Amino acid sequence: MYEIRFHGRGGQGGRMAAEALALAAFLEGKYAVSFPFFGAERRGAPVRAFTRIDDKKIRIKTQIYEPDYVVVLDETLIETEDVLEGLKPDGMVIINTQKKPEEVKLSRSVRCATIDATTIALETIGRAITNTAILGAISRATGKIGIDAIEKAIIEKFGARLGKEAGEKNAIAARKAYEKTIVGIAKAGKKFEGKKQWLPTVDELPLGGSIGTLQTEAGLVGIGSFSENKTGGWRVFMPVVDEQRCTGCKICWFYCPEGAIKMVDNKAKINYDYCKGCGICENECPFKAIEMKREVRI
Amino acid sequence: MDKYERGERMNLKNLPDDEYFTPGHTACPGCAAPIIVRNMMKILGKDTVIYTPANCLLVFGGTYPYIAWKVPYFHEAFENTGSSISGAARALKKQGKKVTVVGIAGDGGTYDIGIQALSGAAERNEDVIYVCYDNEAYMNTGIQRSGSTPYGAETTTTPAGKKILGKLRHKKDMAEIMRAHDIPYVATASISHIADFLKKVEKMKNIEGFRYFHVLSPCPTGWRYDPSKTVEIARKAVDSGMWTLYEAEYGEITNIYKPKKKIPVEEYIRGQGRFRHMTPEMIEELQRWVDRKWERLYGEKP
Amino acid sequence: MNLKARKMVATGDHAAAYGALLANVDVVAAYPITPQTLIVEDFATFVDDGITDAEFIMVESEHSAMSACIGAAAAGSRTFTATSSQGLALMHEMLPIASGLHLPIVMPVVNRTVAAPIGIWCEYNDIMPQRDSGWIIGFIEDNQEVLDMVLMGYKIAEHHDVLLPFMFGLDAFILSHTVEPVEAPSSDEVMKFLPSYKPIASLDPDKPMAIGTFTPPEYIQEERYQTDKCMRNAKRIIKNVTKEFADVFGRNYHGLIEEYKTDDADVILITLGTVTGTARDVVDELRGRGIKAGLVKLRFFRPFPVEEVRMLIERENIKAIGVYDRSVSYGVGGPLYIEVKNSLYGYDLPIINFLAGIGGRDVVKGDVEKMYKILQDVKDGKTRKDIVWINTRGVKE
Repeated sequence: MYEIRFHGRGGQGGRMAAEALALAAFLEGKYAVSFPFFGAERRGAPVRAFTRIDDKKIRIKTQIYEPDYVVVLDETLIETEDVLEGLKPDGMVIINTQKKPEEVKLSRSVRCATIDATTIALETIGRAITNTAILGAISRATGKIGIDAIEKAIIEKFGARLGKEAGEKNAIAARKAYEKTIVGIAKAGKKFEGKKQWLPTVDELPLGGSIGTLQTEAGLVGIGSFSENKTGGWRVFMPVVDEQRCTGCKICWFYCPEGAIKMVDNKAKINYDYCKGCGICENECPFKAIEMKREVRI
Repeated sequence: MDKYERGERMNLKNLPDDEYFTPGHTACPGCAAPIIVRNMMKILGKDTVIYTPANCLLVFGGTYPYIAWKVPYFHEAFENTGSSISGAARALKKQGKKVTVVGIAGDGGTYDIGIQALSGAAERNEDVIYVCYDNEAYMNTGIQRSGSTPYGAETTTTPAGKKILGKLRHKKDMAEIMRAHDIPYVATASISHIADFLKKVEKMKNIEGFRYFHVLSPCPTGWRYDPSKTVEIARKAVDSGMWTLYEAEYGEITNIYKPKKKIPVEEYIRGQGRFRHMTPEMIEELQRWVDRKWERLYGEKP
Repeated sequence: MNLKARKMVATGDHAAAYGALLANVDVVAAYPITPQTLIVEDFATFVDDGITDAEFIMVESEHSAMSACIGAAAAGSRTFTATSSQGLALMHEMLPIASGLHLPIVMPVVNRTVAAPIGIWCEYNDIMPQRDSGWIIGFIEDNQEVLDMVLMGYKIAEHHDVLLPFMFGLDAFILSHTVEPVEAPSSDEVMKFLPSYKPIASLDPDKPMAIGTFTPPEYIQEERYQTDKCMRNAKRIIKNVTKEFADVFGRNYHGLIEEYKTDDADVILITLGTVTGTARDVVDELRGRGIKAGLVKLRFFRPFPVEEVRMLIERENIKAIGVYDRSVSYGVGGPLYIEVKNSLYGYDLPIINFLAGIGGRDVVKGDVEKMYKILQDVKDGKTRKDIVWINTRGVKE
């Protein structure tokens, strides 16, 4: 049996990819299960999906903690979380990026396959939806599942949802990705501070969970504590303020759903810890003082 | 807040910096609900108790032990916003506390499963504020149709199928139902009209008795448009007459906003994936509904 | 409020409403349903006559009644409601929310049959399905106990080792609409026994708290353990409070169960509700005839008095146990029977279930005598049957 964990963002189709992979394995006569992270995450938030494949019936129903493969649909995620968490020592990570494996820096040195799925998707499907192209890369990188089965699964699964033509285009994207995947070794050296979690005992937990504000080892919890959750990592495009043009009219300040804009000296200042990059500020600024730019994370 | 305390009306310039709903919340990018909530709270202020039933706001406003609210907050269930806030408000009254108790429900929790408790609380004229943030479907559970979903819109339970294209029935007029309750205040609002929005929040804060505040809440995920267009779409909803801004006191409309130039409904639905499949006949039917509503509310043909 | 001690002749419903008045409740939210209506009407009269300044919310359904009670209790107020039958069923969704948030609401439930078929008479199929709701569940024998149970109920429920909501059943019409003498203590005496409620959480802008938030699996299991512990603690607190009540008011309810002539009994019947009173008379008469019959009145169904029931059996005089149920868990027997069998796991003793009074059918002395007769026969080895439907046409007893 081998296990695959997909990292994507809500709305990017990670779950569909995980399910299509299971279908491909099934078409090859294998037994496969796929499931999403059981949560309530929203569009844009980092989400996970899982696939388990074996030659015989899979009876285990737990979540996957030590995958053999990790698939990253959105490159920005490797900057904000340790995607290698729990990956087996001889496991492999497959990343959608323009970089070569040797140029990718992760928390440890690890077998790594890279594919520019975004470009392939744009060229083939016409949209930056990478969840089918990545399946081709999985086929190539793992060598465990044939590209023919992947194509068939995509046509069946995506074709049913999006129409025959779209299904075929997605299958072509997977084939192209299969041909262009590069396998190598990623570099070590990226540091992640493990986020501590507040896990009180039954005696420490306030009765019924009713909570005021509490300072814990894991940071602030309770009333007003959601600011501990930095949503800036969701962002793909970042707003940049042109201070020359900004008149301090406060329209963006009013409209920011995150409250991530403060007025400082009558100019809009964006708090990138929380900005999710929705672009409302750019769209609503009457003076064209805000521009959304592709996020570059170092 | 000095000017405001001196009696100047609330506007964008003097709207306080205070935030009672913290960043870090997990709403989808471009969601209108946190825009509504953040700015409403700036006026309602610290002495406010918030209730949310089951809805997106419950989930994106806090996952234990993290909570975005900085004021007292409680949740019980889905269909009982009206009664839950009644209980809290009466208890706080008995305790002699001057507190504004506010329930913030979605359209499903208001139009459908919550209408009984809402109607009961309104009929009793409980001293509370009931806010409906209306995103026109059950978004929290993945975009299923509600009584608020407009005609023709595609949801996961009214798919644009081979035989039936989207929802067959028009949107229920909830604000009008509330107006029929003879309560001190009913207001509809839109984030696209900032001054109007702020004026209404400020006004209802100072009214005693049952106040119903209904805000259109465009949803990029469920309505399928680019998240940056949230305010633009809210504005078009008003300009097309799909959404009408008014205030009513004890059933009488005391103030109603009339768009300077009424745009065709087609202009509003363009760019929203949920309406993409609509045929010209369906668009005409939606336009007829808008025009009927227009005539009813403005007393003249559009 | 300054109410003098008085003796009155009152219905069970009035005793419940008067108990709430004496408990000085802050908020009442209720919806009328037969045969609970008199409670709502009587309390409305207290409010409109200015006897209490409690807030009375006349909601539009039982679901809203419990929702409003939870809102009021979450805000830190002493809260009361009452319901029955279909109303309790409609409220069902809200019950575990009250217990999960540890809100000590007190609620008399006038036990009435749940449809179908629709009826208004006594049966316990309304309250028994609330078994796992996290509420303390008690049963009542007479109208005096109704009033006293409201007072004890708050004292138990509000204890910081418990902090659970408290419901108790009183039999439809047999108590709710029957007048009998009830002694009411003065409000001063009650105040001493039951000081004002000290909540652990409230909705205070000066000390904001979040109550009932969206909670992931990392915390819910611990919260369930807490509630389980509170329910276990309730056994100790019930005993203490009943004793304190006896010391102050002179009426002793003996904790979780009350034994009647069990010391040398060779057969005992475990009862709940008003049948207990009838059974006391039957026991006396059987004793007059030399039959060693005993009786155990079960006062609490949750927490269930497992240890107390076991201790009875440790005494070797008891040779057969009968369990009376006024509702059925279809295909299995009565809910009380299941609990008693669970408590007596490992003991080799016949336990017979008597189903009687279903749908409000009167349980007369002859029915109870029949139960004891069957127990005698079981003891003597003449018969052995697990579940007996008493007085059911076409069914052999």
